[in-house]
Amino acid sequence: MSVSVAGARSSLRRHRTWLDPRPAVLAAVLLAPASLLLALIVIYPVGRLVWTSFLQLNLTSGVPAQFAGIGNYVSVVQDPVFWQTLKNTAIIAVVTVPGALVVGMTLALVANLPFRRRWPVRLALLVPWALPLAFTGLIFAWFFNSQYGVVDDLLRRAGLPQPIWFNSVVLAMAAICITTIWKTSSFVALILFAGLQAIPPELYEAADVDGAGRIRQFVFITLPMLRPAIVVAMIFRTITALQTFDIPFTMTRGGPGDATRTLAMYVYQNTVDFLDLGYGSTLAVIMFLISMMVSVVYLRQIRTQA
Amino acid sequence: MPLRLSLICLLMLLAVPARADTVLKLFVSGQVSQPVIRKALDRFEAGNPGLRVQIEVGGATSDVQAQYLNTVLSASDSTLDAFLLDIIRPAQFATAKWLVPLNSSIGDPGKFMQQYLPEYAKADTVKGDVVALPAFADAMFLYYRKDLLDKYHMKPPTTWDELASEAKTILAGEHDPSLQGVNFQGKAIEGAVCTFLLPYWSMGQSLEQGGHLTFDQPAAIKALAMWADLVKQGVAPKNVAEIATDDTRKDFQAGKAIFAVLWSYGWADFQGADSAVRGKVAVAVLPSVSGGKPASCLGGWQWGASAFSKHRDEAVKLVKFLSTPAISKLLAVDASLLPVFPTLYEDPEVLKADPWFAQALPVVQTARSRPAVPIYNQVSEIIRSTVNAVLAGTKTPESGATEMGARLRRVLR
Amino acid sequence: MIPRGVIQRGAPLRSIAAFLVLVNGLFPAIWILLTSLKTESELTRTPITYLPVAATLTNYVHAFHDQPLLRYLANSLIVASASTALTLLVSVMAAYALARLEISFRDLALAAIIAVSTFPLVTLLVPLFQTLRALGLLNTYVALVLPYTVLSLPICTLVLVSFFESIPVDLENAAMVDGSTRVGALVRVLLPLSAPGLATAGILAFVNSWDEFLLALSFNSNPAYRTLPVGITLYQGEFAFPWPEISAALVVGIVPVTALIILFQQRILAGLTAGGIKG
Repeated sequence: MSVSVAGARSSLRRHRTWLDPRPAVLAAVLLAPASLLLALIVIYPVGRLVWTSFLQLNLTSGVPAQFAGIGNYVSVVQDPVFWQTLKNTAIIAVVTVPGALVVGMTLALVANLPFRRRWPVRLALLVPWALPLAFTGLIFAWFFNSQYGVVDDLLRRAGLPQPIWFNSVVLAMAAICITTIWKTSSFVALILFAGLQAIPPELYEAADVDGAGRIRQFVFITLPMLRPAIVVAMIFRTITALQTFDIPFTMTRGGPGDATRTLAMYVYQNTVDFLDLGYGSTLAVIMFLISMMVSVVYLRQIRTQA
Repeated sequence: MPLRLSLICLLMLLAVPARADTVLKLFVSGQVSQPVIRKALDRFEAGNPGLRVQIEVGGATSDVQAQYLNTVLSASDSTLDAFLLDIIRPAQFATAKWLVPLNSSIGDPGKFMQQYLPEYAKADTVKGDVVALPAFADAMFLYYRKDLLDKYHMKPPTTWDELASEAKTILAGEHDPSLQGVNFQGKAIEGAVCTFLLPYWSMGQSLEQGGHLTFDQPAAIKALAMWADLVKQGVAPKNVAEIATDDTRKDFQAGKAIFAVLWSYGWADFQGADSAVRGKVAVAVLPSVSGGKPASCLGGWQWGASAFSKHRDEAVKLVKFLSTPAISKLLAVDASLLPVFPTLYEDPEVLKADPWFAQALPVVQTARSRPAVPIYNQVSEIIRSTVNAVLAGTKTPESGATEMGARLRRVLR
Repeated sequence: MIPRGVIQRGAPLRSIAAFLVLVNGLFPAIWILLTSLKTESELTRTPITYLPVAATLTNYVHAFHDQPLLRYLANSLIVASASTALTLLVSVMAAYALARLEISFRDLALAAIIAVSTFPLVTLLVPLFQTLRALGLLNTYVALVLPYTVLSLPICTLVLVSFFESIPVDLENAAMVDGSTRVGALVRVLLPLSAPGLATAGILAFVNSWDEFLLALSFNSNPAYRTLPVGITLYQGEFAFPWPEISAALVVGIVPVTALIILFQQRILAGLTAGGIKG
């Protein structure tokens, strides 16, 4: 397809103006602003970060920075808290990524239904988002509060047992996952919703003619057509899940004990709280490597599909 | 001295033709109302022509402020000239070389610091250098329901055991399922560090001396077990692991607790219009462990000058000005902040504005400061997460204390 | 609770689904709205109350009085709109290059763009602060617009790439055969067809900026440039957490932004589809 396109274009042999440059030149021009921004905002800080990860640099030690080689990396591997936070982060990712996908898909499908007035449902899709993240955790911590929480009250009215969510390792994690899914399913829904709108209605009309049921249409038309959107949503949902910070930070502070402390919280703690810049940077680099590996797996997924 | 004098003259000569005033930026916390600080700064400006001071705010809580300051100062930023610091920060800030050492500016440091409450003098001196000067005091108080204790003919408890038995009697007599015996902080926040230290200190133990760990495991087990038992006996609420500082205030203010362990800020709210316990509250020295001494947890804030300031001398001047009895008195009278000078607790004007300060002095005097070590944040994290886990019941006091000790030994030798 | 006319006749399952979506999406916001009408002492009642016992507007009075709330709101809107516009511009350009031009390093470029978003923001704080200070940008709108654009660039580019790729290239080729330039085909053919994708990318960028706290706290401490999420946290005291007043401030923030997003979505969808048909 692409070969024939190129052939068709060169056969046009039109006069090139500044508005119609060669594809390679155009590509460079079009990618320039993005590259420039990335270089300015990301490359320098990241370079510094990687360099710092090889230093022994703790501002509270009163000792100037020293080159430490892979010393910090060795310490990370031997640090039980690192493994604990990695495990917690993995649990959150494994629960909330599919969770947000299922909830988000449901929301998107409902939002795509032919209601006479669409804005109320779309509003419901967007409001979770407009609630600043810094307060989402606090509001949900209040909902799950065993004294003054709505959840507790509803359970009481229903005659069900009312657990103290934050006294339990499992339930505290559950509360965090529920909150995270609530907050992030809007993101997934929005991307899938856009994907749904791009599916040509003729496909469904043809399927209707063939007598295919709703479920068959969903499995054989909607899902395959949504695949790129699903992959995009999954990549970013997974990356943000690996960076989970605000919700556990405000809801549990990582408690009880270290049961809900995430990797990002640990990075933050070491960098901003303990001012152990060397160790914090190392943790960040490791975190980066993990999310890189995950996104490479996803990208492979896209490529094999293409 | 003559050199310095001539330097000052030279500076003054240089300063006279300068058209623009020097503007200092002062970073303040959310605990002081800005109009009151402004009043203090107006006095400073009146006495120092050519100097102006602007107030900067970056986050309301100590945590968020530290987040902001740590970013700005890690980048060696010179925007801020002086700041108001939580008592747990000076050691960390001084070791990071973010504070101007003040020894050369205050004459004889030992003598100069004697005018303050002694624990503040200690917390603001890092390795022999005075690095910050006290702004206002705070401590954990035992608030109690005077009406209920009077009804049952009880005196404020002097030991935690006494507190438990008094609470049980009152709870049994009141038949109010929403009434709690004692409310304190069990969420993994800074307050939980004090929760642990109160009984631990009361046993005569300390956590650190001269930067070296002096962790006593049996005392730590006893301290954690004491709180866990209060929960088990139904004296403390079962959900104490989710209670943060302001939750204690709200519960006590709603009349839901007989006793509360809380900072001084609660008093004004308890006496406010929106309070169910107005006129029914009194404060006492915190109880001790049986056979121990009472101990409270010291809070409060300090003024420090930024080492990155482009106007260090002026910043130091400002810090010194703000840490005088006159300003401490202003903060006490206008903002109900506890003075850092013991003499002010007898000052008639202060007592007229805040009569309860008379009861507050003995509490402030029994208060101890949390370990003044540069890695305090690590120490705090270890303690608060353990306290939280023990109160949630996911760890026993024994395993919690063992783990706490092991982790403390890793960061503090 | 569902406004009239939302649901078509004779679709009970649909109405249940819509109801669940509305409850799920709106409950916390409604809770905040109700809280903003309560007094603080009402919040410590057990059992808890849902509707305010004695509704009051004083929290709103305090919210506007204690902090320059409208200033914060305006700042947030300015920063979010500017970074949305910039993000859309930059990511449309990049996405077009990646989706339509045969570049040999396409996969590498995509991977690099994604890689950017895998760095935890927290750790970039100090170096970023230094970069912006060196450029003299601290305490300006630009100090937030640039990083926010970078923050949203990866997801928006990826959304647009996948959108562009789902649109048959023949339409643009036809336009180019008719004498249109590449850029002309992009603007007049591809963009109108990608309206849902553009709307999505725009909303993503807007909300990313709207939500952000850490950079806003660290880079714009001057109240004149302070954004809403940072501003609202200032209603707290060192210890005090006044939910009713904070709720009032949150409501003031949520209402305009959701209205704006809905309007934006409908405008861009309507406008671009209309343009597409005409072109």
